[in-house]
Amino acid sequence: MVKPILKLITVAKEAGVVTRKYPYDSPLLTEEFRGKIEIDASICWGCGACVKACPSNALTIRESMDVRELVYFAGRCIFCGRCADVCPTGAIKVTKEFELATEELEDLEQVVIHRKVKCPICGKHFVPQPLGRYVCEKCAKGGVPTYMMVCPECRRKVGVKKMIRCKGG
Amino acid sequence: MNQHKDPLPERLRPIESLIREWLWIDRGRTIMLDVKRENLVEVARGLYKEIGAFFKTCAGVDERPLWGGYAVHHIFGIDEEGLDVVVYVRIPEKDYPWVPSIVREVPAADWCELEFRDLLGIDPRGRLTQRLVLPDDWPEEVKPLRKDVPYGYRPPRAEETKPAEVGMYPSGVPVGPYHPALHEPEYFELYVEGEEVVDVRYRGFHVHRGIEKLAESPRFDYNKVTFLAERICGICGFVHSCAYVMAVERAGKVEVPERAEYIRALLLEVERLHSHLLWLGVAAHLLGYDAGFMHAWRVREKTMILAEYLTGSRKTYGMNLVGGVRKDITPEKVPKILKVLEEVAKGTKKVADMIVSVPQVRKRLEGTGVLRKSDAAALSVVGPVARASGLNRDVRKDYPYLAYKDVSFKVPVYSEGDNLSRTLVRVEEIFESIEIIKQLLDRMPPGEVLNEEWDIEPGRYAVTSVEAPRGEDTHLLITGVGRPYRWRVRAPTYANIPALRPMLRGQELADAPITIASIDPCFSCTDRMLVIDVRTGKRSVLVTRPQVKVVSLG
Amino acid sequence: MRTPRALKRSIWVFHLNTGSCNACDIEILDVLAPFMDAERFGVKLVASPRHADVALLTGPITRETLPKVVNALRAMPRPRLVLAIGACAVSGGIWHDSYSVIGGFPRLKKILEENGVVIDRVVYVPGCPARPEAIIYGLAVLVGLLKKKVRKEVKEAGER
Repeated sequence: MVKPILKLITVAKEAGVVTRKYPYDSPLLTEEFRGKIEIDASICWGCGACVKACPSNALTIRESMDVRELVYFAGRCIFCGRCADVCPTGAIKVTKEFELATEELEDLEQVVIHRKVKCPICGKHFVPQPLGRYVCEKCAKGGVPTYMMVCPECRRKVGVKKMIRCKGG
Repeated sequence: MNQHKDPLPERLRPIESLIREWLWIDRGRTIMLDVKRENLVEVARGLYKEIGAFFKTCAGVDERPLWGGYAVHHIFGIDEEGLDVVVYVRIPEKDYPWVPSIVREVPAADWCELEFRDLLGIDPRGRLTQRLVLPDDWPEEVKPLRKDVPYGYRPPRAEETKPAEVGMYPSGVPVGPYHPALHEPEYFELYVEGEEVVDVRYRGFHVHRGIEKLAESPRFDYNKVTFLAERICGICGFVHSCAYVMAVERAGKVEVPERAEYIRALLLEVERLHSHLLWLGVAAHLLGYDAGFMHAWRVREKTMILAEYLTGSRKTYGMNLVGGVRKDITPEKVPKILKVLEEVAKGTKKVADMIVSVPQVRKRLEGTGVLRKSDAAALSVVGPVARASGLNRDVRKDYPYLAYKDVSFKVPVYSEGDNLSRTLVRVEEIFESIEIIKQLLDRMPPGEVLNEEWDIEPGRYAVTSVEAPRGEDTHLLITGVGRPYRWRVRAPTYANIPALRPMLRGQELADAPITIASIDPCFSCTDRMLVIDVRTGKRSVLVTRPQVKVVSLG
Repeated sequence: MRTPRALKRSIWVFHLNTGSCNACDIEILDVLAPFMDAERFGVKLVASPRHADVALLTGPITRETLPKVVNALRAMPRPRLVLAIGACAVSGGIWHDSYSVIGGFPRLKKILEENGVVIDRVVYVPGCPARPEAIIYGLAVLVGLLKKKVRKEVKEAGER
């Protein structure tokens, strides 16, 4: 009867005090921890790759006539980090933030608003501005042809007109 | 389906006359037998009783888009050869499909048959049936897993609720669904005669979340389902994720770099450490020894911190993708891993020694909840429950997968079959896991860890098994276009529940809780989910009515 | 409503699992284990909702547990405080549109109000699973000891 108590006392003494006095002490985090994500609005293109990769639809896109909004709702996030893996520009960074308790659900939202490019011919909005600029730079190789920042329907019409003119018709 | 026409294995000769056709899905590992519906019961009897295979699971599949009907797949396994045998039965009727029930020959098939009856509407004839999986107020006509029912469709409440169980005795002791002893919502009523438990009325499946239907929905694709699989169970989640990803890779013939296989095996062993230490603490708590609970969880915390250091999250690691893993274990992490393993080994030795040496604890563990070897073999139990009753069964040795073929380890087997042997099996497995991790770290080959170029054809088939801390976890996968066509999960606790009947017969009520906890029920897994089981089970016995009926029938 | 002064000290909690995968539940038990000892704040796990101040709710509410959850919450005496832990409880998580799931505490709150059960204060703790430190932080915010940190952010593309 005495021996088990002695064993318990030995084990307890060796272990000592292991309690961390959080929140008056730092939490037990390692450097690999995946917390909330941070979207850098200056680099984001609004392409939607993160929306396709998110398993729980925490990242969604709200489209309206002239604006595309990228909405991140941390309440549905599963903190997997796939969005940061697939983002082509590296705008999404995984932080170590885990103190996310709140009473209103709106506090958990992060919205990035992209204005869309307006077609000079028909006036329709069609693509977020940063994405349009990137495509122009990649395809133009030195000069922006007249029909790059034009919406797809008008581009088709303008292109055909140009072809007809070149052919000499 | 991918197939090779090769000779039938010797073991299967006794039933050769009953098979219409056989196809090798995966050479040496999985064979599919196409059987006519009228021969099904004979084939099941031949496999289970004469050949000595044991039953893994069964799955109903809605194959109407493929050839116009339903089908049922029964999966058996022959341990000695590492061979999975799939018995495939086609059902010609489009409306009101039915199959003969094999429950009299194979008692372990009880719940899977009720499940495909609930979710697909295939009627198993020749047995008593009842609702098992779906909520009480679900309308009878809506079968969720059929392909024409959209995945998010929520029918309104049915006019009359159909309770899943009808009580036989007029009164009983109700326990649950929210009870101080339970960590999970379940409901049961116990009927006792004096100190002995006689019968129980059980209603589980409170955790049914519709995982198999979600995996087939347009919202998911192959890579996203790994995150879904991990959240089947929070304690053994990585096991389900690995089994799913291995099934996709086997079916789609995807090349996986060897280093990724080693990393997966290593994380599986880290998960085994945390799970067994968790069980040790909970078992001590159930026996009244709370100091043991606290110390076991103190040692366990180090494994959680190690998991976070390696993967980025304490639980639900999120490391698996089709074709490999997302993060590498760089050489500078290795000294820290070895240091944590040292501390865990020393800590476990002291804590386990302390818990088992308390005379009150030892007396309650020794000689209670005995499961004889013959019962264990007849009921096809898996995991530490089987190993404590003298059956030498371990998926890592019998059906080798991942990096386990390159490491050497012992499989602890005891023959008494009581609660103490189950405890000792788990404690020894902790030390074996630590040895395995050290060997894996030594032998890890260099190279990359993720192969992102793959293309998976639809219509391929795979069956995988992985050794979870609780036993053998089996997944069946049929690939579709961009996402699985049918995915079936059978968790280990599902196979261990029938073993509670012989274990509890004649037991006193006070011994019941630790006996139930000794099979290490993981309610969430079983109820994928299929069945919800009692986790701590302080005042509950899990002898369910379907089992009572089945065994009393034959 | 602001938390009454009587509730600023020892909080008695009741663990209510509405069909979760158990990762958040073992993190709740971890809060009581030696490393993150919550008993130094006087937090105690009680057996019955009738003795509880706060209900720790985990899991997307499944269809089968719905009537039972309503009964359990009705049995709590006023003021009723709820801490919704984990991505599943906050919004349904990865299961938010499955056929067998109600979809998180906000939808449950509407159903509770229809049945006459008033919840006085709710705090949401995201995470999958929620860390033990996050649960302690959430409990402190619920009781009024700490202030919340997150805020809604709306940014125009192009600004940092």
